[in-house]
Amino acid sequence: MQNMLADQLANIVLMHADDKLMLGHIQSDWTGLAPILEEDIAASAMAQDDLSHALVLYEFLGERFKLDPDAIAFDRDPCDYRCCDLVTIPDEFDWATSVVKRWLTATFSQLGLHRLATMTEGDLGDRAKRLLDEQTIQVTHLNRWMTRLGRGSIESHDRMQAALDRLSSSAGMMFEPPDATLTEDESFCCGRDELFTEWAKGIGITLDAAGLSATITLPDRSTGGGRRGEHAPHFIDQHAELTEVRHSDPATSW
Amino acid sequence: MSGAANPVSPPDITITADPEKLAAFEQRIADGILIEPGDWMPDSYRTLMLRMAEHHANSEIIGALPEGEWITRAPSMLRKLALTAKVQDEVGHGQMLYRVSQELGKSRDDMLRDLVTGVTKYHNCFNYPCPTWADIAMVQWLIDGAAIMNQKTLADGAYGPYVRTMNRINMEEAFHFKSGEDMVLTLMSGTKGQKAMTQEAFDRWWPISLAFFGPADKPNCEELPPMKWRLKIERNDSLRRRFVNRFAPAAIDLGLIINVVTKNEQGFVTSAKPDEAIALDKSTGDWSFTQPDWDEFWRVIRGNGPCNAHRLALRRFSYDQGAWVRRAIGDGAVATPPAA
Repeated sequence: MQNMLADQLANIVLMHADDKLMLGHIQSDWTGLAPILEEDIAASAMAQDDLSHALVLYEFLGERFKLDPDAIAFDRDPCDYRCCDLVTIPDEFDWATSVVKRWLTATFSQLGLHRLATMTEGDLGDRAKRLLDEQTIQVTHLNRWMTRLGRGSIESHDRMQAALDRLSSSAGMMFEPPDATLTEDESFCCGRDELFTEWAKGIGITLDAAGLSATITLPDRSTGGGRRGEHAPHFIDQHAELTEVRHSDPATSW
Repeated sequence: MSGAANPVSPPDITITADPEKLAAFEQRIADGILIEPGDWMPDSYRTLMLRMAEHHANSEIIGALPEGEWITRAPSMLRKLALTAKVQDEVGHGQMLYRVSQELGKSRDDMLRDLVTGVTKYHNCFNYPCPTWADIAMVQWLIDGAAIMNQKTLADGAYGPYVRTMNRINMEEAFHFKSGEDMVLTLMSGTKGQKAMTQEAFDRWWPISLAFFGPADKPNCEELPPMKWRLKIERNDSLRRRFVNRFAPAAIDLGLIINVVTKNEQGFVTSAKPDEAIALDKSTGDWSFTQPDWDEFWRVIRGNGPCNAHRLALRRFSYDQGAWVRRAIGDGAVATPPAA
């Protein structure tokens, strides 16, 4: 495990995989509780996509470092997870928070997967390419929800704007490099600033269509957060829940 | 998961239909012709069918809750994916069954409101706790196994939309059952602690599974509307006997002990001793067994079970929390996803 955690490429892959794990983990908790049955099914499918994407990336790392993908997913200490702060923010079963958070991260993941798809290490590029179709469907679906609720009613607009206001300050930290020693290009293939600009331009189109606004800035590279293992206290609780059954007897099969 | 075995025994059905139309309707059923939504049907048939489909739909979406609570604690990526997909399937079954019910004349919003306000019911088995991961295994193995047994008979019913929905649901339930069977096998092949946890969960769920099919029917139930009109196909006791014949030997083979238990108000076992009635009659192929506690069954179905209030409160919380979304996309009048 330590070999993997010391590897720069592994940290880049973990960054995306851990985002997916925690997004799927938190969203899967909505299964059976979403506002509309049809959307319950769709949101659960997206949670399963995210969990599956995480697994595909953990399997890549598992083959590369001779590790069990489940051990990568469940058996690291909380400080060794590379997910960003945004994905772990609890949504408190507020649909506006859930949609906005998933939309911000899905659009980021789409660009991230595009960059991983250009990588030539092993079959990483091919794996990322396979995930992109599902990711694009997620982005399309969430873009529609943003517009539908942004334009739906005064009440829904205000709830969506409030969620954006609440989450915007954490959105920039999606771009935190997972390792302080990584250069910009190593972290994001084409550069952190370029990625942020591309992402901000894309979400701006949807925000305009939805009648919503967000002020999101790119934090200084030295600002540490979840990607470097400096997680908020709620992540410690989420990690405990994630591993509760497995760690009740880690040596056995479940 | 679910199975609408016990809501269709209404004593208050009065048939007031035109005798000629009624005779033709009953002849169609006798001839094995499916009844479709646009066909003539007695009002009492529509009432019964709606009650059954709505109860079944309610059971599916309430049934998503106990298992849903364990998704975030599933112990591997594959178990987590399988459980999420399984619970999603249950919600999907609810969606299909509400569609069947809507065609019989009740709006979805009315049905969801009646559910969260306690006007309509859902299957009794969901009013019990799932305190461990092994309970999730038991729900998928025993309760889904019971549901498949029941729903396979319902797929031989007379109302076309419900029959087609049962066929679709049963295919998915078979996967749920296999997943549950694999979970139980894994646990019973595991450590001493896992085996003990599995036995405790089995003690909780075996009597609930026996009660799943409902109490014994009236002696003349074949002549009463639910069975005469093929809304209900097989007697509850017959289904229960087939269930025991299937699962008692399977449990014993796995190393589980079939106990007779007493429980406290929270649904936890306070005493357990081997069921001395468990035995195979080789001449009939039937297993004998001790009946579940029917007093407990009636107590729980009347709203006084360990989890009645919790399940309904969570469903109501979800309904209330999502109201603004439904208002925004359809003035609260319809419940549809965003346009594609």
